[in-house]
Amino acid sequence: MSLSWINPYYLLVSSFLLINVLLGVSIYITLSTGQLSLGNAGFMSIGAYTTAILTTRHGIPMPAGIAAGTLLAAITGILVGIPALRLKGVYLAIATLGFGEVVRVLFVNWEKLTGGAVGIAAIPQMGRRILSIFRDTGFSPEDWGLRSNQFISLTVFFLLLAVTVLVILFFLRLGSGRVGRAYSAIRMDEPAAEASGINTTYYKVLAFTQGAALSGFAGALFAHVTSYISPADFTYHRAVEILVFAIFGGSEHLLGPVFGAMFLTAVPELLRPVSGYRNILYGIVLILVIIFRPQGWIDPPLIRRLRGGRTPESR
Amino acid sequence: MFAEQLINGVTLGSIYAIVALGYTLVFGVLDIINMAHGEIFMFGAFIGMTVVTSIGAPLWAGFLGAMLATAALGYLLERFALRPLRGKSGASALAPLISTIGVSILLENVAHKLFGAGNHLFETPFAEIRFQVGSFTVYLVQAVILGIAVLLMAGLSLWLYRTKAGKALRATAESLETAGILGIDTTRMITATVVIASVMGGIAGVLVGMAFNYINNQMGLPMGLKGLAIIIFGGMGSVPGAVAGGILLGLSETFMVAYGSSGYRDAIAFFIIIAVLLVRPQGLFGGTAAESR
Repeated sequence: MSLSWINPYYLLVSSFLLINVLLGVSIYITLSTGQLSLGNAGFMSIGAYTTAILTTRHGIPMPAGIAAGTLLAAITGILVGIPALRLKGVYLAIATLGFGEVVRVLFVNWEKLTGGAVGIAAIPQMGRRILSIFRDTGFSPEDWGLRSNQFISLTVFFLLLAVTVLVILFFLRLGSGRVGRAYSAIRMDEPAAEASGINTTYYKVLAFTQGAALSGFAGALFAHVTSYISPADFTYHRAVEILVFAIFGGSEHLLGPVFGAMFLTAVPELLRPVSGYRNILYGIVLILVIIFRPQGWIDPPLIRRLRGGRTPESR
Repeated sequence: MFAEQLINGVTLGSIYAIVALGYTLVFGVLDIINMAHGEIFMFGAFIGMTVVTSIGAPLWAGFLGAMLATAALGYLLERFALRPLRGKSGASALAPLISTIGVSILLENVAHKLFGAGNHLFETPFAEIRFQVGSFTVYLVQAVILGIAVLLMAGLSLWLYRTKAGKALRATAESLETAGILGIDTTRMITATVVIASVMGGIAGVLVGMAFNYINNQMGLPMGLKGLAIIIFGGMGSVPGAVAGGILLGLSETFMVAYGSSGYRDAIAFFIIIAVLLVRPQGLFGGTAAESR
């Protein structure tokens, strides 16, 4: 049986797609309390740089590095989330965008730690690490008719797929529980939520921190998939891209950003035949979709219809 | 040295102020952050460059070309990216943010196709003319930039606060519905606002070309972000706030580069807004508390 049709390039694109899904979910969580944070690229870079520095320079094992990156992003999330409580709407959006820029400029200038604008190279790659563990136990991908680069991209893809599915399930469960109901109550009417006994400060900071932690986690995974990071990976463009995932896909249901991230990562690849014009087309697609479906592709009524329930809106 | 840096800072700051005014006008009337403003600014710079440097026409023709082109872009932006979303059910406050981001991506890449990547030289006929005032040197270009900036700001203030059209615009900003009931053609006012804001962006683009001599198709974004930072600092929709914020940012950046570290130059704007927002969430000149928009 020949498995030579397995294309490492498409698997790599799919792995980035899954990381983008995680980022889309991360902005959704913060947004589900009505807080628009554009700092996710900054949190992502904190996660990526933490694990890159720890694993590359200090020989810390990869899982510990990823955990440390996630944790540091979460702590930064608390530190940013508390003063951010004072801000609302576009003010919060721009302040968090500013936070991301400040982090990026810090990484560019702190050359001793971060390598400056050049970034950090030769970060341990997830798939290669797993392959070497397998080889130590006597396994060889050739036994299965796989080339080693095919094996590497396959393991990365399935690992990320498992992680992404777990994360989505976790936040779907969270959304239907006590925390999720508190989030929606705050999003719909904050004073009313407070009046009915919801600790809005706690839940808003919690949502902010969860979003930051998930961005940091996605960033750490990103570092170990590409094995090279630089401040250019975490610019304003990244922040806006993450926002667009959520708004384009639909920001009223968790599956919206998931769909948005998948669609918008796939579209540039599908537009490859017209590569000279694909960014122009991307811009046009974005404008058209938001005009014809301003709430995003996926919204709660659509989810209900997909489930087959014909129940009318009971609000 | 100090006085020259002061002049450099004020010149840069007055360009920032004009960019910020474009944001603040649109935000004041529509409550929308126009993410495409930076790219319209960039287009203005390129049209100005094409007319002045490539064709060799006089500078005023460059300004005229840039103003006409950005007016057209502003009209198209309003007509196709903002108007369809107005009053549409399901359109949250975020929808126009995304549609203008779409326009900004479109414009940046169209400019890439039309003018190519990399830096383009913007030659001003009198770039080298300078004169001595006391012990320091002033370039004529700086004086021209400052003069145009002041004229523009004064003109805008007069138009906003002393004319009937300006009054109609302020009424529209106050309440779209009430202004409509009182017989103001609000659609026309909104279109006018976006067009005027875009023209200001275009003028600022030509001014930047004159000040720095180099332009490229990615210059819209950093300028746009600084403009946003300034209106946060000065208060959304506040004209004096935008002017004060712009000058302050220009001065801080110039002195940071002259006496500190140039690496942090582009982060100053954000350091300032984060600090200001923590102390006064509604901006220095913002009257009302920052509400969710």
